[in-house]
Amino acid sequence: MTVIVFDDQKIELESGQTVLSALLDRGYDIPNSCQAGACQTCMMQVVEGELPEKSQSGLKDTLKAQGYFLACSCEPQTPLSIKVSQAADLRSQATVVGHDCLGADVLRLRIKPTGTFDFYSGQYLTVWKSETVGRSYSIASVAKRDDYVELHIRRIKDGVVSNWLHDEVKVGDELQIQSATGSCFYIPGTPEQNILLAGTGTGLAPLLGIASDALHQGHSGDIHLIHGALTVDDLYLHQLLIDMASQHSNFNYYASVLKVEQVLPPVTTESLQGTVLAVADDPADWKVYLCGSPEIVGQLKKAIFLAGASMKNIYTDPFISAHSS
Amino acid sequence: MSSVYDRIGGEAAVDKAVDIFYRKVLADDRVNEYFDGVDMDKQANKQKAFLTMVFGGPNNYTGMDMREGHKHLVARGLNDSHVDAIIELLGGTLADLGAAPSDIQEVADIANSVRDDVLDR
Ligand code: HEM
Repeated sequence: MTVIVFDDQKIELESGQTVLSALLDRGYDIPNSCQAGACQTCMMQVVEGELPEKSQSGLKDTLKAQGYFLACSCEPQTPLSIKVSQAADLRSQATVVGHDCLGADVLRLRIKPTGTFDFYSGQYLTVWKSETVGRSYSIASVAKRDDYVELHIRRIKDGVVSNWLHDEVKVGDELQIQSATGSCFYIPGTPEQNILLAGTGTGLAPLLGIASDALHQGHSGDIHLIHGALTVDDLYLHQLLIDMASQHSNFNYYASVLKVEQVLPPVTTESLQGTVLAVADDPADWKVYLCGSPEIVGQLKKAIFLAGASMKNIYTDPFISAHSS
Repeated sequence: MSSVYDRIGGEAAVDKAVDIFYRKVLADDRVNEYFDGVDMDKQANKQKAFLTMVFGGPNNYTGMDMREGHKHLVARGLNDSHVDAIIELLGGTLADLGAAPSDIQEVADIANSVRDDVLDR
């Protein structure tokens, strides 16, 4: 007999009973459907304890790394403390240590969290302007390399938080932030695998974070980063990425720009999707990361999947409007 | 008696089958309108559940679930021709995975056994 802890309650499992069945028996309304480990509706997260391997079977690597599991396939052998996913908002403090304008309307904000702040490059955190008004931004820095957390903030017309961060916040200020989440990040373990990163606007922040993290962890496969933009002015880290490509032989950078007068590599007038499909002509075993505008992320996801990428290897972070404004 | 699910290689094979089947579905104008435009990850998970079921693998679906799960699609015009198309794409998927013709027939039979539930009649 094993005991699990959920919602501050100790719940005893009969032998052979799953976590889902025990919680449902106790009257908890846990979403579920197939009850056979396939549909992933009953995904929960571990707080403490050891998960049976079967309970994570079929999950994306990034979800496994964060302790997600399927309640219907979980028959724990040892005590386990669990929660429904996306629980527990933890706010903490951070000090602004860098505040630079990159190009026309993107702010590079660097902050130093007070105390420990766990994250994977490419995840997003929420910056709170007040008790109730906050926006999420993706992390472009690398935990083990940088002593700050870097966010890219596009100025949104009438955006309450983005204009405040651009115009009022300055170095030395204290900000309220909230723990990082999201499943778009680098997973070590297959260093020779090719990686494709593509996105628009400040979708570049998580892509840069993931690429830098991969390089920092000694990734040896090819890494291709494609930034899609309307004009060259939107390529707000153009030179940094060109430098990165000359420093790392396995890192490649392409800029797909819609309106451009002079076409010089790495700039191309080929569409973002066209560039993606040309760069990853056989993506069957590639890992693919797509970030930025939801429409474009959706289109690219379908295109790269139809081109042969496996669903499990495609990670996306569509920036819904409250995220990043 | 072992199921097609076991014979083609269990869960690992179904994971492979999901990619192949979903690609076929999205590329097929007869049925793709029912699968397009929604969260692709969620769809892929549901298709895994679907494939596990029709391959005779572990599942807890009832005819009632099939009825409820497809009602909104029947309201949008789902009919026999769509079920036929799905069964055809299933067969193609299994053939790509190297399954025996008898196994393909067995899967078609399972799918057919819930046809009336899926079409809510
Ligand atoms: C041939 C027999 C069929 C069987 C056994 C079957 C089985 C299933 C199963 C097990 C699910 C997952 C339900 C869940 O856990 O939520 C599902 C979902 C679904 N099926 Fe079928 N299906 C069949 C035919 C079809 C056909 C002909 C279409 C359309 C052309 C279709 C479209 C869908 C869609 C779109 C979903 C996802 C619904 C949602 O998003 O909630 N199915 N099916």
